[in-house]
Amino acid sequence: MRSNQLLETDGTSGPEQFDDTSLWVVVAQSAALDIPRPVLPVTLNGQRLVLFRDDDGQLGLIGRNCPHRGADLCFGRLEDNGLRCPFHGWHFDRTGQCVEQPAEPVGSQMYQQIKVPMIAVVERGGVILAYVGKGQPQTEMLHKKGGTL
Amino acid sequence: MISQDLNDRITRIGPDAPAGAVLRRYWQPAALAEELAQGDQVAVNLLGERLVLTRNDAKDLVLATRVATPDEPPAFYPDAKDIAIDPQGPVYPVENRKGLYFAYMGPGTPPDFPNFDCFRAPDSHVFAFKGLWECNWLQALEIGIDPAHASFLHRFLEDEDTSEGYGKQFRDKAAHTDMPMTQILREYPRPDIDVQETEFGLKITALRNLDNGLTHVRVTNQIFPEAICIPMSREMTITQWHVPIDDKNCYWYTMFTSFQNPVNKALMREQRLKEHRLPDYAPLKNRANDYHYDPAEQASATYTGMGLDINVHDQWAVEGMGCIQDRTQEHLGRSDAAIIRYRRMLRAAITALESGEGDLPMLNDPLASGIVGPLSNDAITNSDDWQNASQQADMARRAACPWDATV
Repeated sequence: MRSNQLLETDGTSGPEQFDDTSLWVVVAQSAALDIPRPVLPVTLNGQRLVLFRDDDGQLGLIGRNCPHRGADLCFGRLEDNGLRCPFHGWHFDRTGQCVEQPAEPVGSQMYQQIKVPMIAVVERGGVILAYVGKGQPQTEMLHKKGGTL
Repeated sequence: MISQDLNDRITRIGPDAPAGAVLRRYWQPAALAEELAQGDQVAVNLLGERLVLTRNDAKDLVLATRVATPDEPPAFYPDAKDIAIDPQGPVYPVENRKGLYFAYMGPGTPPDFPNFDCFRAPDSHVFAFKGLWECNWLQALEIGIDPAHASFLHRFLEDEDTSEGYGKQFRDKAAHTDMPMTQILREYPRPDIDVQETEFGLKITALRNLDNGLTHVRVTNQIFPEAICIPMSREMTITQWHVPIDDKNCYWYTMFTSFQNPVNKALMREQRLKEHRLPDYAPLKNRANDYHYDPAEQASATYTGMGLDINVHDQWAVEGMGCIQDRTQEHLGRSDAAIIRYRRMLRAAITALESGEGDLPMLNDPLASGIVGPLSNDAITNSDDWQNASQQADMARRAACPWDATV
């Protein structure tokens, strides 16, 4: 799937609102997701990711390959408040947590152990920023400034 | 998850790679007979070697080495006049089976062909075709021994008229019922999967318990090392090889085999030529054009949004994994039972060749040419009688068959 040019980032741009702008990089314009199916491929420092907006209006930025057998989640079904892999129906929420494996036996709990890598994102002033620092971002600070995680 | 070292061992096919050594012990599909329509000098790109199907001094077709530059594309088809034979390179024996040329690239005497239905049926009942997939052969094979994926990847949100489904996968009615296969697959997505080792590979039975005390039984097969045999419709089976061009590209070669009526080859070929270009048989829907992905169609008609041709769905699934699937990141589930079992067989074959101890499937059996079948069908039956029902359906089809399909 073709990447939006804006999504290729060198990690140097960032908004002034954050104390340490080097930890947040623009990965998309919010307008790029104003489409019937808001799903975009994102490459961040060489890592292949998929950005989507779920039914709650919240953003998810997660690993692009399904953790089952590696299918490309950029072609996933955006439904049930998450992204569903078309290969076997494994369903992921915006944190990358697998929440359903509809081909596995009834009662299987395997899905609880499956999680796709997730990158924290915030949406500010018409741009979507991803956290590229180590560890977890300082969420309290971001919430105070009106960001969403 | 497996280690990178093990992933390399089971995927890479160069002449010195362990999996490549296993493949070379078996006849490999090399070209369609129709590729020789313009003459007897046709490029073949197989198992990392640059070859040409040509005639030797005795006028027999052989697979010889051709002169090639290192920067050739993987599926490269120079004009016959531009092909030069490399007299220093190896020459391999070739045999035609029902419109498909097979080559033997291994050491020693080539093995006998097993007596599978696709080789026994008369020419009139077998149609062969091929297509290019830009990925490693093993992930292409593994989707074919994964009975659960059809309930998702090939899901149609609405059923078509099954009377229009000739020559296409999953467009027939299921067994003797009025339910379209597409409905069974969609409504019963959690098959129980039973895997049995056989003399030729694996027998894979997917059981879908319907709501009324009935079970849908679908039997598919893995034929060692890189083929599958699966039902296509009530009348036809698909025997399909996933043949490496190199580590990162492969061809599927399929022999469509009909039990009752001769195959309508003109229609089958026309259907497939609409989806492929010549001479490299590359699919027109591909990674470069997002497989013609349509989000609106995905929302309303198909699970993938990539049209009705299930070949395209499979191609997307396996190419999207990357050139060689990174199995250090995979998480196999119960639906992958046959894949897990197959990898065990492949590893055992690799070990047998490396140690010089132990046999490879079908090779050291003096009766390999007596291997028949395999059973490959759909049946719907009382749940406690599924094994017998599958067998009975197979025997009935064979008994009514105009060619000798007895087992």
